Order: sequence, then C-alpha cells, then structure tokens
Amino acid sequence: MSCVNLIEKERNAIINPLKTCQPLGAMYAVTGIRRAVPLVHGSQGCSTFVRYSLSRHFREPSEIAVTSLHEDAAVFGGRRNLIEGLQNVAIRLNPSLIGVITTCSSEIIGDDIIGFIKTAKKELAEKIGEEKTEKIKIVPINTPSFVETHLKGYDNAVKALIDHIAEPSEPNEKINIIPGMVNPGDIREIKHILGLMDIEGIVLTDISDPFDSPLRPSATELKPYYPKGGTTVEEIVDSANSTGTISLTKYAGSGAVSLEKKYNVPVELGPIPIGVQNTDQFLRNLKKLTGQDVTDDILDERGLLIDSMADLSSRYLHDRTVAIYGDPEITAGMARFVGELGMVPQLVLTGASNKEFVPDIGKVAKETGVEIDTMVGGDLRQMEVYLKDNPVDLLIGSSDGRLIAKEAEIPLVRIGFPVYDRVGYHRHPIVGYNGGIHLIDLITNTVLENYYEHQHWKLQQ
Amino acid sequence: MEPKLEPIVETFKSREKHMCVKGEGLSIPVCDKASLPGTVTQRTCVYGGARIVLMPITDSIHLVHGPIGCAACTWDIRGSKSSREDLYKKGCSTDLGEKDIIFGGEKKLFETVIELRKLYNPGAIFVYATCVAGVIGDDIKAVCKKAEEVTGCRVIPVQSEGFQDHNKTKGHWIGCDALLDYVIGTREPEKTTPFDINVVGEFNVAGDFWGFKPLLEEMGVNIISTITGDSHVDEIAQAHRAKLNIVQCQKSSNYLAKKMEKKYGIPSIKVNFFGLEQTVNSLREIADFFGDPEMIERTEKIIESGLAEVEHKTDEYRERLQGKTVALYVGGNKAWSLVRAFEELGMDVMMSGTKNGIREDYERIKEAVRDGTIIVDDANSTELARLLKKYRPNLLISGAKEKYIALKLGVPFCDFNHDRISAFAGFNGFVSFAKEVDASVSSPVFDLTSTSLRGD
Repeated sequence: MSCVNLIEKERNAIINPLKTCQPLGAMYAVTGIRRAVPLVHGSQGCSTFVRYSLSRHFREPSEIAVTSLHEDAAVFGGRRNLIEGLQNVAIRLNPSLIGVITTCSSEIIGDDIIGFIKTAKKELAEKIGEEKTEKIKIVPINTPSFVETHLKGYDNAVKALIDHIAEPSEPNEKINIIPGMVNPGDIREIKHILGLMDIEGIVLTDISDPFDSPLRPSATELKPYYPKGGTTVEEIVDSANSTGTISLTKYAGSGAVSLEKKYNVPVELGPIPIGVQNTDQFLRNLKKLTGQDVTDDILDERGLLIDSMADLSSRYLHDRTVAIYGDPEITAGMARFVGELGMVPQLVLTGASNKEFVPDIGKVAKETGVEIDTMVGGDLRQMEVYLKDNPVDLLIGSSDGRLIAKEAEIPLVRIGFPVYDRVGYHRHPIVGYNGGIHLIDLITNTVLENYYEHQHWKLQQ
Repeated sequence: MEPKLEPIVETFKSREKHMCVKGEGLSIPVCDKASLPGTVTQRTCVYGGARIVLMPITDSIHLVHGPIGCAACTWDIRGSKSSREDLYKKGCSTDLGEKDIIFGGEKKLFETVIELRKLYNPGAIFVYATCVAGVIGDDIKAVCKKAEEVTGCRVIPVQSEGFQDHNKTKGHWIGCDALLDYVIGTREPEKTTPFDINVVGEFNVAGDFWGFKPLLEEMGVNIISTITGDSHVDEIAQAHRAKLNIVQCQKSSNYLAKKMEKKYGIPSIKVNFFGLEQTVNSLREIADFFGDPEMIERTEKIIESGLAEVEHKTDEYRERLQGKTVALYVGGNKAWSLVRAFEELGMDVMMSGTKNGIREDYERIKEAVRDGTIIVDDANSTELARLLKKYRPNLLISGAKEKYIALKLGVPFCDFNHDRISAFAGFNGFVSFAKEVDASVSSPVFDLTSTSLRGD
C-alpha cells in the first residue's frame, strides 16, 4: 500500500516547536545582502533572541539592529523609534540597504511603516543630503509573527526586496536563484553547479559568505565592518532582467511569481535539489530556462553520487526506517532521497501548516511504495509520542530533536536549522549531487556506528 | 574634575557618557537609559529577563503566551542543570495566530494550560505574557486563577510583556514578583532548624550550585530552597521560613531578598562563590551570621581543606595568564563579582561593563576595579567591536552574541554565560575557571590570525 497517513495534532499547546515566527526568516534574508542592515521594528528581544539563534547555528556574528519599542510605543505608536532608528542606522553604518522588519507588536499597533520611512528619508536628506540618502535603499518588510512561520517571513522579505528594488532594463542572461532558508554550503553548491553549466546567477539572497566568513583581522579593519559577500543591491535591481527564476522552494516563490507577472521573467518553483531526481529536475529547469546543456563534469558528479549509492544503499541502508522532521521543503526532499536509497521514510513531520506539503509526501509514498505517516503543523512532542509505539532506525532533523533521540536510543543525523550541538553542518551542502554524497556518507556512517559491531566483517568492505 | 573629553571610542554624542574611566572624572557612566533606536543592541526584552530567572525551576512547565517565536527562540537555552526533573527544558507556547489576535487568546490559553497539566502533572505552570498578550489585552491573571481552580495545579501568571521597559532587569523583578505573590509562603516546611537558609540568585548554570552546595551542607546550614537553580516549586514555597537569604546574583535577585526581608523579616547577605578569596569570605560571612562557634570552627576546616585541595592546581595557568588583560561585558553581576577572581589569576581587568546595569551596579563595579579601568554601559555591537579593536584585551568575557564578534576580530573569548559547559563556582570551580580562561587566552590559534604571506 502506498499512501499518506495524516496524523493530526489533537491539542492547542505547542510543545517543543518545529517552527519559529516570521521576522527570523526576514532577518536571515536581509543578512544575505552586501552591506545591508536588518532593522527590526519591535522589542529588543525580537532581534536579540534571533541573533542568538543565528549565531548559535552558524557560529558567526549576527548584526541585526532594532528600534527598541517600549511601552509608550505600544500606546502611541512606534513612529519616533522607527524614524530615529532609520537615521541612526543610515548615518552610523552607511549601509547599501535597510530592511525594515515588522513584528507582532508593530503590526498590531498598526504603525504606518511606509509613511514613517518617507518621513525618515526627508529628515535624513536634510542631514546628509539628497544624493547620499537616495543611495540607501529602505525596504519595508511586513512580517506579522502571528501568521504562518519563519518561511513566510523569508518569502515576504524576498518578495519585498524584489518588488521595491528590481527594475527592468536590458536582458542580462542570468538566472535568479531563490535558495530558501538553507546553509552557506548549500548556496555554494548551487553556485558551483551554475559555474559548471556556465550560467551566471543572481542569488536572492546569498547568505553564504555573511554566515561563513573568514577570520582576517586586516579585512575587518573596514569602518564600519560588514562581512564580505552577499548579493549586491545592483544584482537585485538587475533581477528583473534575468532569463528566469528558480526558487528552490515552493514555500518562498512569491518574489519569483512577482518577477514573472511584472517583467515576464519565467519561473520554476521547487523542488529543493536534495537527492538524485530532485537535482535532475533542477538541472532540467536550468536547461529549460537557459538552453545550456548539462556538462560532462556534472554528469561525473552525478555518477559519483550514484556510485556511492550503489556501493552502500543495499548493503547498509535498505529497508531501514527513518523519521524526518523540519521545514516542509527540506523534509519532503529528504523523504524522496531516503526513498531513493531504499530506506523507508516512515514518518515525515513539519511544523509548518502549509497544505501543499501533503501531496508532496503523497508523491514520495507512491514512488517508494510505502505508507508514510505525516504530521503537518506538528511539534516535537508529537514525534516523541509517535516513536514510543512506532520506533524507527534513524532520525533526520535539527539539533532540537537530540533529547528525543537520546531518550528513544535512536541515532540522529543532523540537517536543517538549527544545528548547534555538532559542528560543520552549515558548511557542507545537502543539495546537489555533492550534497547527496555528503548525506549518504553521514547516514551510512551513522548506521555503521549504531547497527554494527565494531569487529563486524561487513565493515571491512 | 571634568569628565574625560576624549571619547573612549567613536560613537554617538548621546552615547559618549555611557563610557568612562575609573579615576578620571566621572567614574560612573550614564546608565539605565533606553537604547538608541537603530543600534545593534546587546540587550534583550523584559520577557527574556523574567524567563531566565524562573526557567531553572525544574519541575515546572514554562508556558509562553504569544506567537511562536517568543518560545521557539528561548526554550532550553539556559544551561541550568537539574538533578531531578527535566520539565523546565520543554518549549511550550500557545502559538497565538491571527484569529487569536482578533478575538483574544484567553480561551486558547486556558485550554492549553489544562492540556499541559494533564500531560505532565507539573509542580506549577508559569504563564508568561509577551508583547502580544499585552497589546491585545488578554487577562492572564484571570485565566491562571480559573485554570488553577479547575486543575488544582499552581498556575502562575508572569506579567512579562516584552516591551515594558528598556531594561531586562525589570523582567528579573517581574519573575521575582511572581514568586513573591504566588509561591513563597504557600507551604510550611516539615521541620525547621536554626540554620535554615535560601540560596537566592543562583541558577545552577553548568552546575555552579553543586560546586558550593556541599560546602554549605558541611558547614551545617540547612538549605530550604535555591531560587531558582535546580529547584522544585514546593521548595520555594517554603522559603519564607529561612533565617537567612544568601544572594549570589545580586543583579537579578537583590530585589527578591529585599522584598523578603520586608515581608518576612529575613535578613540577607551578599555572597560570591567565584574565586577562592570570595568563596572563603562568603563562607565566613555565613558562619559569622549564625555566630555558632561549632559552625565557625567547621567552616574554618572546610576552608582549610578546600584551599589545600586546589593549592598549586592553578599554578601552571597563572604563570601563563600573568599580566594578561581581560574585558568583561556581561549582564550585570559578573561585571564586579568576577574581578577578584581574575586578579587571583594574575590578570588585569582593563574593562568592565554591563548591558542592563543600574546606578547601584556601577557603584559596585567602581569599587571592584582598579583606577584606569574602562567602564561601559549598554555598549552596542559597533561600540563593542571598536572597544575591542582599540584596546585589544587578551580576553573577552561575555555571552553568545558577543562571542563571534570578538573571535572575528581575533580577540580570544571565554564563555561565562548561559551556555557555558564548566561549573566555575567554589574551590574546584576556580580550577576549572583557570583552566578554561587559560585555554582561551593561551590558544595557539590567535598567533596565526595575522599573516605575513603578502606582507599585510
């Protein structure tokens, strides 16, 4: 039997969440722009706890400004805080762009963000001149924390950036890539693939360097200090002229759709290139949009992945059951990949409540010929309870499941966000054929370590 | 004398007086002011303050009433250890959505409390108000009262709307108020002794409390409760019967001690178990308070054997650390309580600062540090980076957000915050402290940060 068995969460409480609120996604997206500053319009905790979360995962500084709303703002509005905040950021940090990110409180108070930005610009022009003021793009990003999840915040941010900045001029023969909330290693892998295909890309937005930057004190002597890399504002402007847009996730496709509607930039949405078939699909999409053919180098990389799958999957992985939890796009991609390895994606759980998720898992169920238990809008407590009656051989997901894994004595392969109790996971890709190779190594080594005696003859070949 | 004219680092005019040098004019910086909007502040919100004070109560559920982010970014992020329950590690939220914002979240909160009580039967359920709970006007007190009546479980409202104040210390106080109003004094101890104490403001981060708990027990004091490290809510309920409160984190918890003195007549003394000298002084002060000759004698023996046990164990570290400089930039208490411990290692505290200090905190810092020490208040990320670049300490002691700022500038860093791994309190804690400080300062990595490959 192959179908999806949807298991409902029968309570209000969220216990050990698998999602967070919109502003985090927007702060992540703005960090991927060169010399940009995310400015959170909310309480200090709204920026501070997110900075903590991001720093913990990437082991990098996370520079996010805040308007520090206090009680008077809740009563009278946050007008003065935002207007002053924008000017302080502009004057002190001389950024290329400021992303104004709203929060639950500023949304509910009903602050007129666009109006405040206008006033701030006017006041700023009086202080530093029109020309300098015009150079600083200020983009309002609405991210009401009480709607959907961090992914929606990311989507809203990318769309806002595109809507406010992209301008059509001459075709540039580039491909826009909206990577979704992935790791520096993933974005580097995507850029590597584009390079092999001889395609120039615009990554919207590119956190790979800002969240994995070198320690070179001489380079940080810049005043003020910004990390190297990130998408330039000019690139975002130019995204209206690209040959096409590929969003690696259907959950963050609004910006891509907007480019298509306004400027006829064709769009392909998802799936995230995790595993063989999804990466094949990504390459087909690239080919379709650009006309560039897949090169030998890429076929070799594909061959290396298939080679290691042939070496390992039937011997060590076949029929082993897996529970996967995390963001919808990544868990769906992962489910398909473990299916390709001959493993059984027994449970796939996401904290988001997006309806598109279930048919995606249905497709994987059909391909693999197994019944997949699925939870949508779930939390980790749900998985914990499930595992008591339905144990699996392997868990795949973030560090937040580490205690459940330990308690249930099931090994955990770490992917997604956040990973804070192991190192290096932000550096290595899980996307593309190379990402597949990395994943199969991780998964197989975990299986070897947990399900075979150290002296077992199977370990020798 | 006029305040120093030359700003300590380049910054906004209004921020210049938030930094000073002890002994040069103003020795106390301007403090306890709202942060400038538009800076990368190292501060957090009032909710964060309340949460860290109460979270170490291990047998309780901590339920955050708000949109998911407030719980999702703060669950299980404090390394407070438990010897018994692990309920406090769960991340619980009412996950307020759009409908709740429009129609109110009280019903959802009530139902959530009932569910959590059924699932876990906790010692208490602490319900934290967030900004949203405040803005939409949910009456969490009323909901908690009703839920407590229905469940028979303690359901305790914490009025910690995040935007209430610029200073998270207000959150500490709100956390303390929740204990004063709903917990302390609600249960009688089975037995009392003349030497009953509470250990206040000790959160058992990395197991710090366990570094001096045995010493206290050996002295012969009876610990009724710790507030709040490794505690159960029923123990805190009996705290009103103590004869003495000893206060470790004076930043968060002096407030509680003062209120308990007023309400229950319990005197308090300030203690500090970081560093050998401070540990010795603290033990003696407790013994002196009780004035019991046998206890005083036992205490002297404990001190003697404690010091003997660690003698020479830090020699190697001290040799390497001699004369090295350290900058402290912390929440509050550690800005003064660590100064002597570093001096005992032979190090020079060249800067000390806090994110949320109030005037009385800076008075204490001023007393603790030598002339010429830079004292900073609420330094934002840019200022902190400039301070580190300009004065290049051999070590920064701070938290997780500051860690990578320092490291990126090639400044060694040592964690003395929620997520540190080693316990630093008491005699043996001092050895671990010396070892970790040495591991940071003496790491060969920082000799490699500059390259001569290209002559730059």
